[in-house]
Amino acid sequence: MKSIRDQVAVIGVGCTKFGDLYDKTYEDQVCEAAFAAYDDAGIDPEVIDAAYVGTYIPHAQGGKAGISLADPLRLYGRPVTRVENFCATGTDAFRNACLAVASGQHEVVLVVGAEKLKDRPGRGIPRVGHQLLAKGNSAPGLFALAANRYMHTFGVGRETLARVAVKNHWNGARNPLAHMQVEVTVEKVLAAPMIASPFGLFDCCPTTDGGAAAIVCRAERAHEFRKDPVLVKGAALAVATGRPYFDPTFDYLGFRSTQAAARAAFAQAGVTPGDIDLAEVHDCFTWTEISNIEDIGFCAKGEGWKWVEEGRTRIGGQLPINPSGGLKSFGHPIGASGVRMIYECVRQLRGQCGERQVQGAELVLAHNVGGPGAVSCVVILGLPA
Amino acid sequence: MVGISSIGVHVPRSRLDRALIGRAWGSRPGAGEKAVAHHDEDALTMAVEAAARCLEGTHPLRVDALFFASTSAPYREKQVASVVATACDLPREISTADFGGSVRCGIAALVAAVRAVESGACRRVLVAVSDCRPAEPEGELEPLLGDGAVAFLVDREARLAEVLGTAAVAEEFTFQWRLDDGRSVQVQDARFSVGHGWVRDLAEVVGRVMNEHGVGTDQLDALAVGAPDARAASQLATELGLDAKRQLVAPVIDRIGVLGSPDPLLLTAIALERALPGAPIVLAAFGEGAEAVLLRACAGAGAGAVRPAVAAALDRRLPLPSYERYLKYRRRLGSDDTPVELISNVLEFRELQQDVRFYGSRCQKCGLVQYPQARVCLGCLARESLDPVKLSKTGTIFTCTVDHLAANLEHPMGMVVVDLDGGGRVYVQMTEATPEEIVIGASVVLTFRRLHAGGENYNYFWKARPR
Repeated sequence: MKSIRDQVAVIGVGCTKFGDLYDKTYEDQVCEAAFAAYDDAGIDPEVIDAAYVGTYIPHAQGGKAGISLADPLRLYGRPVTRVENFCATGTDAFRNACLAVASGQHEVVLVVGAEKLKDRPGRGIPRVGHQLLAKGNSAPGLFALAANRYMHTFGVGRETLARVAVKNHWNGARNPLAHMQVEVTVEKVLAAPMIASPFGLFDCCPTTDGGAAAIVCRAERAHEFRKDPVLVKGAALAVATGRPYFDPTFDYLGFRSTQAAARAAFAQAGVTPGDIDLAEVHDCFTWTEISNIEDIGFCAKGEGWKWVEEGRTRIGGQLPINPSGGLKSFGHPIGASGVRMIYECVRQLRGQCGERQVQGAELVLAHNVGGPGAVSCVVILGLPA
Repeated sequence: MVGISSIGVHVPRSRLDRALIGRAWGSRPGAGEKAVAHHDEDALTMAVEAAARCLEGTHPLRVDALFFASTSAPYREKQVASVVATACDLPREISTADFGGSVRCGIAALVAAVRAVESGACRRVLVAVSDCRPAEPEGELEPLLGDGAVAFLVDREARLAEVLGTAAVAEEFTFQWRLDDGRSVQVQDARFSVGHGWVRDLAEVVGRVMNEHGVGTDQLDALAVGAPDARAASQLATELGLDAKRQLVAPVIDRIGVLGSPDPLLLTAIALERALPGAPIVLAAFGEGAEAVLLRACAGAGAGAVRPAVAAALDRRLPLPSYERYLKYRRRLGSDDTPVELISNVLEFRELQQDVRFYGSRCQKCGLVQYPQARVCLGCLARESLDPVKLSKTGTIFTCTVDHLAANLEHPMGMVVVDLDGGGRVYVQMTEATPEEIVIGASVVLTFRRLHAGGENYNYFWKARPR
């Protein structure tokens, strides 16, 4: 099987401010992210010959079908596909764009992830599903099932989870686009109201509006657009059961989709987890980040919480995790998050992250997991040799 | 010989301290507490609980009729007996009927079951009697009315008691009633109605059935009468010349309240738990007339006659923290309405075996038991190799959370992943549990509950509760 490695380059990225964007429409978010990416790539949108738009929950004013991107940007007369794959929506839209380029079908492809969550009342995101079998689940409640099993098995307490929040808020406080630019303490995290045990309010990512965009092209043409393109080393998606709670063979200590997607992405890239300089991983909840770094293979199962305790995942540590602030602090507009990670990874590789810059970053990884555990997408990006 | 071979009892775990009613209204509602159906319980679900206990050890195929009796069925139109039968996984071919109208309906269903077995039309009839009667807030019935269910299995084995005879009287007499659109049970002035209606008719039928079968006043072992209050029961005993202290099964109103139609059956269960074989027992209820049934205890009577032991059912209690919580449970405050699109009768129809009879799949190739039902085995990926399999209703919490975000009438809500004894893993809500009971490794029992209302209908499904 042919690897996608080094066939596709990222030539432009853009991202809106993330937050409670009450004064922006879904289409504003698409436009602002795409315009920023156009400028970053220095291109005329006319050269774009295909596009992918990632949105998890269609919104009354956008998010369903390809027109969600085509209408606001007036990108008509070319293929535009909407992608939805739970919380991996953004990275999967990016992966599809890379495949479209690698296949030779398209030369320059735009990816936009956008989500409008704050136009609706209520807390969290709307749940849909089987009227009986899915009744009572919530996003934090579903991840909490795994967290509690993990904490029970490895003897981990809520303080360890809180350290993930403290780190990611510290990073996010230095990120002008982040939703929550505020530092927190372990005490504050532990004292916050309970959402779904063991997750208190600060163990949960916020509900956020936002958009992010990336432009990819065939690697050999990248220098037509900019001097410092970033290469796609691997992009893999894996699906596991969306009903892990009905699977009697599941140990509930991590996610098989992440494990499979990471294996595939590392194989494509021809590198090992130890080669990665920083990673943006899906910290929808504090525990998820701990499990992710194990599932991706940065450390063994049951070791991730120690990495957090030992500070290895801070900026300046052995392997900075979520230097952007992560979902936890940057926010989680679901379809946008994965593309936002690509944005952060590309800017880290270019050395554009200021106080959050991870020195000498040459190979970086972005990861989403949704479902929980149903679907995961892992993307590895690197500087040209 | 036709009689009762098995008894199952369900008393809801929630209790309302009458002092909380007194505090709410500045009244003196009396001492003790009453059993309160949990927010997800109603007469239907309590009947399923009692019926399931009653049927333990009886193969479902051996039951050929189920009668449900209640004055407070969740539906005005829609049969409950068939839902109870389905949730108990009884065969489709059985005969079912709902009885109602007055708290006499429990005895009426029992008598109908006895006649059906006597006639040879049925071999084994399950009678499930359940009530969750609505009392007006601040009304005089509010401290009294409690909730619960009792199920009797009637057959020719008569393991616990045989039925010697019955007596009835029909007489229009307005005692307690509820109009077709009424929210609460109404009551007459007891000073008049107990003496002139209730005692008159009950004394007549109890006296008649004892006379007809030559049971003298001193010979009666126990009178199990559904009474509107403790004083009325004593008045009846006096009228009949009985020694109330010795012969009247003391109502458990101070502990669980007046249940309504299940009362005479519950008191009979108490009487049978302590009766010696041969002991004559009368159960009776009033309702626009009255009906009495004379039993004679059989070899199975005595300790262990009832599942669970009535004392255990009374002791399993979880006090409600406030009067307001009680109002919420009874839908006088708050709502559990779900958007209409989530109620699909088509889905219910298609998944009846999986969702109500609670069957999963077992793989012919690798033996893995799995839920929900599937076409490809989760374990060995074999295609179309899965047979329906009835799942166990007991298990152990594999993992769980206490969720404050998920929408429910009561917050927070426990969600649990349960490994069932005998295979299969399910993900369900935890009900009537304290947060301390929602922990990995805890034993749970699955219970059929009202999941939500919406679109003018109810959805029922299985939840877990502490074992």
